[in-house]
Order: sequence, then C-alpha cells, then structure tokens
Amino acid sequence: MSEKKKSLWQKVYSPMIVALALRNLRLNKFRTILSMIGIVIGVFAICAMGMVSGGFNDEMNKMISDTADTLTLYPIGEKVVDGEVCTGFSEKDIRNVKSAVSSVSKGYDIIPLYTSSKMVTIGKDRASATIYGIETKDIESVVKILSGTLPKGATNVIVGEKFAEDNELRIGSRISMLGAGGEEINCRVVGIMENTGMMSFAVSTDTGIVGSIEWYTAVVGNNHGLYNEIIVKAYNPTELSAMDAAIEKKMNGKADKDSDNTVMILNSYEIMDMFDEIMSMSSIFTTVISGISLLVAAVAIMNVMLMSVKERTREVGILRSIGTFRSQILQMFLYEAGLIGLIGSLIGVVLACVVTPLFLLLMIGSAEAMLSVSVLMYVPIGIIVGLIVCLISGLYPAWKAANLNPVEAMSTD
Amino acid sequence: MDEAPVVELTDVTKIYPMPAGDVYALNHVNFSVKKGEFVAIMGPSGSGKSTLMNMIGCLDVPTSGVIKINGKSTKEMTDDELTLHRRDNIGFIFQKFNLISLLTAYENVEYPLILKLGTGDHSERVTKLLEMVGFTRDRMQHTPYELSGGQQQRVSIARALANDPAFLLCDEPTGNLDSKMSTQIMELISGLHAQGRTVVMVTHNPETAKYADRTIVIRDGVIVDE
Repeated sequence: MSEKKKSLWQKVYSPMIVALALRNLRLNKFRTILSMIGIVIGVFAICAMGMVSGGFNDEMNKMISDTADTLTLYPIGEKVVDGEVCTGFSEKDIRNVKSAVSSVSKGYDIIPLYTSSKMVTIGKDRASATIYGIETKDIESVVKILSGTLPKGATNVIVGEKFAEDNELRIGSRISMLGAGGEEINCRVVGIMENTGMMSFAVSTDTGIVGSIEWYTAVVGNNHGLYNEIIVKAYNPTELSAMDAAIEKKMNGKADKDSDNTVMILNSYEIMDMFDEIMSMSSIFTTVISGISLLVAAVAIMNVMLMSVKERTREVGILRSIGTFRSQILQMFLYEAGLIGLIGSLIGVVLACVVTPLFLLLMIGSAEAMLSVSVLMYVPIGIIVGLIVCLISGLYPAWKAANLNPVEAMSTD
Repeated sequence: MDEAPVVELTDVTKIYPMPAGDVYALNHVNFSVKKGEFVAIMGPSGSGKSTLMNMIGCLDVPTSGVIKINGKSTKEMTDDELTLHRRDNIGFIFQKFNLISLLTAYENVEYPLILKLGTGDHSERVTKLLEMVGFTRDRMQHTPYELSGGQQQRVSIARALANDPAFLLCDEPTGNLDSKMSTQIMELISGLHAQGRTVVMVTHNPETAKYADRTIVIRDGVIVDE
C-alpha cells in the first residue's frame, strides 16, 4: 500500500497533525504558558550556570597559559631581623631557591620582588593600589609593557592598563603618595602595562603600580631586606614541576637544616586543579538544582499532557474511527510536548544568553568568553535537554492516547 | 445476486464484563452484508445495534466468533490494516456527528483526504463534496460549534465520502435531527446507495428504516427478525 512507500519524514511529519497540536496549545494558552515556565526555568538554569562555569574556565585557562612557565613563592613563618619580627625572603633564601632550581634546570629567571598595598593620590582623587618593587632589568620578565618605557630611579612608575583607565592616567601623568618617612613622594607614569586579569596570582597589574626597588624602598621601606615574593620563570615550561619539587625539598624538606624559612609554592597547574575542583563541586550543585527544576517541569508537562488526553479522548476516538493510525495519535501528543519543550527551551536559552554576559562582566570584568565554544555549546545543550525532557514527559500520555479503544473513546463526553 | 458478502459475521459474541455479571451485547450473531445492499438494523436501546455496527466497522473486536471483510478474517489483520480499511473503504456517519471541534467544516472534510493522500490541494474535492451534501460555501470556515445539527450532519456525510468509500456505516444518522432535516439526510443517504454504495444503518425509527432494502431486528444481542 502507499503507506509503505512513504519516507520516514512523511511518516513522522503530518501538517494536519501538527496543526491539531498547535491549535490545542493555542486553545489552552494559559495552561501551555504555565507548563512552559517550568522548562524555561530549567533550561535557563542549565544554560546560565554552564555558560558562567565555561566562561570562568576559559578565563582561568587563558590566565594559566600566560603563567604556565611560572612558579610563585610566598614566605611562611616569621624571622627576627634587627630585633623585629617580620616575614619575607632573605638573600640566603634566594640563594637556596637558586641552588634548588639550578639542580634541575639550566635556563631560568629568579625574580625577587616587594609588594604591598598603598593609598595613592591622583589629582584630587585617592585610590587604592597594589604596588610592586622589582629590579628594573627584571620587570619585563614579569609584566608586558604596552607603551612607554621601563621605570628607573625613585620617581618613575608604570601602571596597569585598567588602573590607568579607571583613574584617567596616561604616560606623563603624576601620582603622589606618602613615603616611608612620612614625606610626600611625587611619581611620573612612564609606561602602561598589559592587564593580567583579576585572578592573576604572580603580579596583578589591574590595580597595580610597578617601580624600581629604589622607588619602592622610598615609598614603603625595604622590610629589613626581606622580599615579599619570588617569581621563578622556567625557559622550558616542562621543567616547572621538577623545579617545584626541588624548591619544596630544599626549602621545606627536612634535608636542609639551614633553611630558616618555609615557602608556599604556587604552581599554575595546581591552581588549575584547585579551580577545577571548585568548579566541579559548583557544577554538581548547579546540575542538581537545574535537574530538580527540570524534573518539576517534566512532572508539570506530564500532568498537562494527561489532562489534554483526558479532555480530548472523544476527539482521539473520532480520529481513530476515520482512519488515523495509532502512530499518528502518538505523534500528535508528542508534537504538543515537543512544541512546549522547543519554545520553552528557546526562551530559556535566550534569557541565559542575555543574563550570562552581564554576570561574567560583573565577575571577571569581561564578557568576551561568551563567544567561546565552551560557553556557546550550552545553547544547543539547553535546547536539546529541554526538548528531550518534554518528549519523555509526553511519551506516556501520548502512548495512553494512542492506545485508547476508539469505541470507548467516542462514547466519552 | 449470488456474490460473496463484503462483511460476514459468524457466531459473533461480544461480552462486556460488569461487576454485576457479564453483559452479552451480542450473543452468537450470524449476519452478512452483500455488496450494494442497504441494510437497516433496528432494535430498542441497549439491544446491541451499535455494538454490531462497531464490529462491522472494525472499531471493536468480538469476544468470540469470526468477522470477515471481503473474505479475510479481521483476526488476521493488524491494527494498522484495520485502520487502513476504515480510512479507505468505510464512511462513518454518526448520530452525534463526531466532527473534530478544533477543525473547521472544510478541514473536517479535508482531514481524511490528507490522511490518505498527504498534503496537497484538495480544495476542489472538498468544496464539491460539501456542495453535494447541500452545505453552503459561506459556512465552510466555521467550526462545528457554529453550525446547526443539520449542517453538522451534512459535513459529517461529506467527510464520510471524502475517500470515496464503497461502504457507508450510519449510526442513527437522523437521531439528532428534526423530521424535515431527517428526510433530507435520508434522501441524501439513499442517493449515495443508489450510486452503488453498500449501506448499513442503525436506527430505531421505522420511517428511516423504510429506505433500506433489508431490515434486521436485534434484541438482547440476538437477531430476532430478518
């Protein structure tokens, strides 16, 4: 018969069946909208949370790849210098680090630096800044200069791009601050640094001012000659983990009794692991929340579809009596569930696409990550998940309708 | 004429299990309809007329016994084959019209055509059918709720004829109509029979039964007069 000659598409798609499904949805607008809201919320939750997590991951990966050759060392514990208790790396610590690193690598830079927070005055405004004192020759190993020159002497500084934008600074602008002795120190901006992002852990330039050791000592003092941070840069990033282990053994291990300070080593990969752990925990949480909202939506849709089958039992009986196949009745109700799913999912995805950039902008200062594959993939994922949830919820009611006895169905009022 | 029957029921019984005991809607019924016949099935309410018609129309299955359609037992046919048979060979006309309330008069007639032929321009055939049953063009886009009983029955007849079936099954076709409209509808059905169609009509109205060539009387699920 002609039925056998029909293509799969012709068997699945029937305009009249779709029209009936659409008309029924339109006829029960309020009920349709209510059941759709559940899917909108569920899909929005899945998409928005996935997109935010994807955006964070991208930002983190970008940052990690920038510092994939870097170990950052922070001092732990206290030292007594000149009768005062203080924290930091001494020249001896730096020599120990150098000796540890040289035992596993030939190519590296070791950059000790000073850092602290400082209130600065720009014109009539005051702003908080993270200031760094680094040997002028080492500055370019740590930050990228976008424009201008390296700071030399006690009155030249370079500032981060974001800090410059926020405070309307450009090359030649003046910044003043109180010096270590209480005197006012005027500095001139001689260069602008590239932003490293808010999650940067080596040198954060976003609110940063970088100057020479001479400048830092004039502004803050020299912390009894103890540095606040040591940055170790490997020419060959594959040696980083060996360097990490060697420093750990030399500085924190029992083998070296001379080491009078302990150190916390931040390795970009370890940070990534920590971040991954946090993100996977938050992802489990968000998946559970989204799952619950989708489950509620699924129950609501199944309820709506069962009501629809009950209300249209007579209609199903008539359709069956005049030659509508069971499979077509099944399709009619699945189209209804599918349409609710499709429209609800589209609305949920659009909402997520509107809200997520705002959230990313607020959290990491940029919505650029929205265009990445790991974020955009949540658009099809959201639509597919919403559609599948609706089709599964509609399956039982549709099956029930398709298997109604035509005579009994037609006798229903 | 000595032709093979188009429908043949042999020892057909239909039992509805009830808490108070089984109800025999049909009790060992033997009945056949030959091609081109106009048969009226009469009987009081609850006698089993509609059950008999549902069996003939392949809408229901017997508890026991055999129903043969053009010589083939319905037991050997799948649900899809029975559906195809209803779609292509039978036109149903019901007492309550049974139009799809979501569709317009035009679409109700077009629906069986789409089921059989798929999408396409069926306007010529639909319009011709509706005009043939005396339905006016200006009402074609009205939904069943906007039509009178007589108009709905005309649409129902047009729908039954959509796929040009050889067999018309009418279940109290004039049950919800006044006498004037009943006469018009019966004239219409009689005309369709005259074109060569086989008609089986359930009725309890003797005036309506007069249009038939043959009348059988059923009572308590048993054919008592033929």
